[in-house]
This record gives sequence, structure tokens and C-alpha cells, in this order.
Amino acid sequence: MSISTPQGGGNRRSPSAVSTGSPAKKAAAGGKPGTKSAGTKATGAKPGAAKTATSGKGGGPRRPIAPVKVGQGRNWGPIALFVAVGVVAALIIGYGAYYVYKGSESWEDRAAGINGLINYRETRPDLMKGGQHQQGTIKYEMSPPAVGPHNPTWQRCLGNVYNAPIASEHAVHSLEHGAVWVTYRPDLPADQVEKLAAKVRGNDFMLMSPYEGLDKPISLQAWGYQLKVDNANDGRIDEFIKALRQNASAEPGVACSTGDYVTATGTTPRDMSQSQPGTGG
Amino acid sequence: MTETAVAEETAAPVAGGPRRFGTAWLAIAVAVGLLLGFAAGLLAPSLRTPGDTSPEAGFARDMSLHHAQAVEMAMVAYQKGTDQRTRNIAYDIVMAQQNQIGTMQRWLEEWRLSPTGSQPRMAWMKGGEALVQDGLMPGMATPEEITALHQATGQNVDKMFITLMIKHHLGGIHMAEGVLAETNRPEVVRLAQAMKNNQQNEIDALRQVEATLTV
Repeated sequence: MSISTPQGGGNRRSPSAVSTGSPAKKAAAGGKPGTKSAGTKATGAKPGAAKTATSGKGGGPRRPIAPVKVGQGRNWGPIALFVAVGVVAALIIGYGAYYVYKGSESWEDRAAGINGLINYRETRPDLMKGGQHQQGTIKYEMSPPAVGPHNPTWQRCLGNVYNAPIASEHAVHSLEHGAVWVTYRPDLPADQVEKLAAKVRGNDFMLMSPYEGLDKPISLQAWGYQLKVDNANDGRIDEFIKALRQNASAEPGVACSTGDYVTATGTTPRDMSQSQPGTGG
Repeated sequence: MTETAVAEETAAPVAGGPRRFGTAWLAIAVAVGLLLGFAAGLLAPSLRTPGDTSPEAGFARDMSLHHAQAVEMAMVAYQKGTDQRTRNIAYDIVMAQQNQIGTMQRWLEEWRLSPTGSQPRMAWMKGGEALVQDGLMPGMATPEEITALHQATGQNVDKMFITLMIKHHLGGIHMAEGVLAETNRPEVVRLAQAMKNNQQNEIDALRQVEATLTV
């Protein structure tokens, strides 16, 4: 400290030396602009700055004033230094604490942070239980459905991109397994469809299909959650997938691609009330 | 300027000034030190567990997907295979790999990471992204091959499964070696090493069966 203090003190003290000189600078600069235009103001200020600089250099001869400033210089030099260090430390601590806070945020909280997210878990807790298997066509109160009773058979959801509508009764079962179901209005431009497909293709617990009568161009579903967006470039799509894929599962650990699933398109669900040959998976 | 600094330094009462600051700064330094220690304590657990883009997290995510396909193929072979030895191996693969998926997903939960990564497949492994072909990780069957396996009948099921599974396991071993080269986390080392050994044993067993299957 004894080595660094003179340096730090010397450097830090110089502003205070300048500030004592600044009234003179202001006076010098202020005197001239009164008579001259703004353009010459800048040039007028320069001599003032030069004056303080020379007065700073010539501080040696003016020693009588120096002892008065000694106490102040000693005070503010290290204080400024340590405040600077303190601010840096506080920033590091703050960033670290924020990072830890964000890192420890639950997926529910991350989902809740998505603007426009529809949370049926809060509005329809009665539908959340899962496991309600039902044959035949099911009437859903939301479009596309994001939770509720469903067909005993699920739609294969290991990155399947279906290019024709599928039965919601199967897709809702996939949601229960933890899949994210990406649906789009059939009139969505092909480049946007491809952008969505790239997020789905080959990824486990993801499936995608067009959906007739959608009120928005794109709608994402997870078990109990929904997000409707206008464009495939919307950043909330990835947020939704990252927060809810697998996490939103009502049956954690159940697969998308192993078991008696369907891969067929068409909106009529498979009726298993009569025995039929399955996929053999 | 240095002149004045030196002048002031000599002019200042050496005993009074610095000692007063010494006490104040000592207190502040202790306070800052405690804060830093507290923050370090907060940060330590997250620094000790693999991060979102770590090889361990990438391995857990990608190997889960890799395993999911093995489970699907083995389940088909178990259900429709005609050779009992093939069916036994397939059964072991289903049980082991579905369990390992659960283990790897649990790691991600413990590390407070999402099952969904933000990096491309295989990016966690040195040269890994170059190994991805048509979005498929090493050894993985194409969607067409999976469909063909589902549609196969009779001994074609066994044959097709053996061919696809040996290729799949070779890719899996390569990935396990990839993470072993990057990590020293005990749980990851243990499981990756076990995958490597078990899958090599299964390859040997499948090759033995393959050699005895008639045309």
C-alpha cells in the first residue's frame, strides 16, 4: 500500500488540482464566449485548458498552497481507488448472484416469464391429472388442445414432422408424455414451416403438424401450456421448447418412440375398442 | 505532478494519516472479503456442476436421444424377433438403455439444466458436429431404416436389428469415448465407461448370433 499510495494518490489527486483550477478555466472560457460565436468558443476554451495544465506543471513553485491540499488529496485518492475496487467487486458479486438466481430458476418460473404464455395449469387444474383415456372423437374446449382426456394411443413424437393434420386425441397423449406439439395454420409460408420443422426434426419429445382453423399462424402446446405466435422467427418459440419440453410431462420417463404409438395422419383417432394390429413397437 | 505528489508525501504526517486510513480500510477490506466469500459460497455449487454447454450436459442430452432409438429398435426385435438369443439381447438393451436415459435426465435435473440444450447436436464432443450426418448422430439409423424394421417380418427382423444395432452401438461407444476424454466427473465416467464395456460385449454377442443365422 505504501508503494501504490503515492502513485494512486498522485494520479487521483490531479483531478482535484484541476478542479481548483477550473473556476479559472470557466472564468477564462466564460469571458470570451460572451463576445464571440459558438465556433470560437471551443478555441477559446483551449487556452484555458492549457493554462490549468501549465499551472499544474508549475505546481512546484506554488508550494505554500500545497500543504492545504495535502489532507484532501490523501483522503480522496485511496478512497476513490477503493470505491472503484468496491464497485468492481460489487458488480462481480451482483453478476454472480444474478447468475446463480437465474440458474436456479425452476422451469415453471422460466415458463411463466414467457410473454403471452397460456397456463391451463392455473385456469383448469381439473384437467391436469392426466391418464384420462377415452376412445373416439373428443371435444376439446381449446384449439388446438393442450391438455385433457385423450386416446389411449399416442402419436409418435421423436422429432416427427407430419405434413398433414393429425388426430388431436393422439397428440394430447404425446403432450402428456412430455412432448411439445408445434402446430401451424396450413397457410403458413413454406420457409416458416421449414424453420419450425428444423426445431422438431429428429429431436425427441417433439412433433409438428398443420392444424386447420388455427386462430394464429403458429401455436405451441405442452401439457397444460400453450403459446400462440405470428412468426416462426419469434424468439419465444425456443424459450417455450427449452422450458417445457420433457419438463411439462405428466408421465416423466415415458417414451415418445417406444410402444404402441401411431404415425398415421388424419384427424380420426384410432379406435382400440376392437383389437387391431399395432405398430409392433 | 509526480513532483507535487512526492512533496505532499513528505509533507504529510506519516504517523497520523495512514494509520487512520489503515483502520477504515481494514474494516472495508474485511467487509468486502466477507461479501466475496459469501458470494463464492453461493457460486461454488454452480461452479462445481457442469454448465449448460458442458461436455457432460451435451453428452447426457445427446446420449438420451441416441439411447431412445436403441430402445425403440430393441423393443421391435424383442416383440417380433424369431431368434431367442436376439430377443434376449434386445431385452437387455431395452432395460439397460431406458434406465440409463433416466439416469442421464436425472443428472440434468441435479445440475439444474434443461433437458433441451442450446447447442447443435454433438457440439460438446471434439470434432463431434462433423460426425452428424443428416441430423443423425454416430451409428443412428435413418427414419427409413426404422420404418423398414417395423415392417420387417420373420428372420428379417433379427437380421435387420443385428445390423442396425451393431452400427448403433459402435456410434454409442464412440460418443462414450468422446465424453470420457472430456470429463472427470465420477458419475459420468462411471456410466460412460459402463456403456462402452456393455455395448462392446453386446456387439460381440450380436456378431455371434449373426454368424449362425441362416439366409
